[in-house]
Amino acid sequence: MLGIDSFPRSIKQIQLLCLVPAAQKLALMFLLAAVTYGVTGIGAMLLMTLLANTHLGKDGAGKHGISIAESSRLGGVAIGIIVIVYIAGLSLMSPYTSGPERDVTFLYLWSAVLFCCLLGLAEDVKPDFLTPKLRLGAKFAVLGALFWLSPALIPLTVGVPAVDFLLNLPVLGWVLVTVFAVGFINALNMADGANGLVPGIALASFAVFFMEYGRPMDGALMFACSIFFIFNVISGWYFLGDTGSYGLGAILLGYGLLGVADGNFSAGFMAALFCYPCVDFMVSVIRRFRAGRSPFAADNGHLHNRLHQLIRLRVRSSVMANSFTGVIISVSTSGAVLLIYVVGLLPPDSDLWHIAFVVECSIYLASLKYLTSIQPKTQYADVG
Amino acid sequence: MRVILYFVAAIGLIWVGVLESASSSVEDFKRYSDAHVLDHGHGSIQRVLAVGLVGDLVVSKIISDGRDTVIIEGNEEF
Repeated sequence: MLGIDSFPRSIKQIQLLCLVPAAQKLALMFLLAAVTYGVTGIGAMLLMTLLANTHLGKDGAGKHGISIAESSRLGGVAIGIIVIVYIAGLSLMSPYTSGPERDVTFLYLWSAVLFCCLLGLAEDVKPDFLTPKLRLGAKFAVLGALFWLSPALIPLTVGVPAVDFLLNLPVLGWVLVTVFAVGFINALNMADGANGLVPGIALASFAVFFMEYGRPMDGALMFACSIFFIFNVISGWYFLGDTGSYGLGAILLGYGLLGVADGNFSAGFMAALFCYPCVDFMVSVIRRFRAGRSPFAADNGHLHNRLHQLIRLRVRSSVMANSFTGVIISVSTSGAVLLIYVVGLLPPDSDLWHIAFVVECSIYLASLKYLTSIQPKTQYADVG
Repeated sequence: MRVILYFVAAIGLIWVGVLESASSSVEDFKRYSDAHVLDHGHGSIQRVLAVGLVGDLVVSKIISDGRDTVIIEGNEEF
């Protein structure tokens, strides 16, 4: 039983707790989750908070991208649990029939997604458990099998005559799409270096897919990514990890290819939506190759690293500098595509989206050139 | 031990949204088959508390798209 004296003490304790930055962040995160997704959002936020505080999958300070705080790599696991709970419940209690049950293409796609998640989970729980070559080989095998078993995922036209010709050749088309798919998943993993960057891109993409198709799975993924985005941007205690980046990469890849193959989206639309991870991956590989380094060796020469350094000079909080970097990039690329789609400025199947992609590439290259020129002798400089 | 309780509580809270989405869609199917009335039904206080402002729009979209499939294909899958 609480005595009368203990009430003022409790209020004082609450007041003291409110002055702690971590408690303020938690309060803000839970408030945003409650406003956007109600009681369900509070549940998802609680689950993420609990997983972020487990000892499993902890990254030391400075080990992940531009983060300098200790954080958890189990963001992908949290997203997975939320989506599974939601879809399992909906399948049991409503007339909803999940994709894998009604369509064999979705069955193969989700099997590949599950394998990619497990591949990432092994790495998140025990770093360097699998060698990079083994992981790459496993991804080639799984995605190769996916496209072999589900040729409906291979688009026959992307609006570029030479590429269309190659895609229509049976075996060459399969090889090209498999190589692209492995590259795409690695690109998303490589871009996962700033708070809200990959989650922001994933959130915008699932919002587009949900508005186009209205599938409950897209809605569940959008919900989980929204909560993760709020958590990741405000606290910086969480990363997607390999489970999240491989899993979300495989889902976005499958949905994107299917959308283009069905003719609902143009290849230009998908290129514009996923511009940042793809272009950053290509530019990083070329940059490292020219510097005589391994094209897949990690470094700090990405655009988000350089933008972060610029913002860090102006923002006192390291977490906020990290979050501003990720949010600026995701909002100005995938967020802009989402806005154009919502407003209806361009239909999603228009080939004019190729122009939007070219504009995004130009802005990326101009920004990288400018930031490189003003940061020549820093930890982010390319050393040959 | 306390952590397990928190996990159960978290899953339970997520389950509130699952129940709300599932019951809304089942009610909608019944209402449609009984009266053929197209009523979006979103914005009720109970649903907004359960799934929030954005979640309310998501649930409404799931229900309306499911209903379209019923109308077009003659089955209850969506």
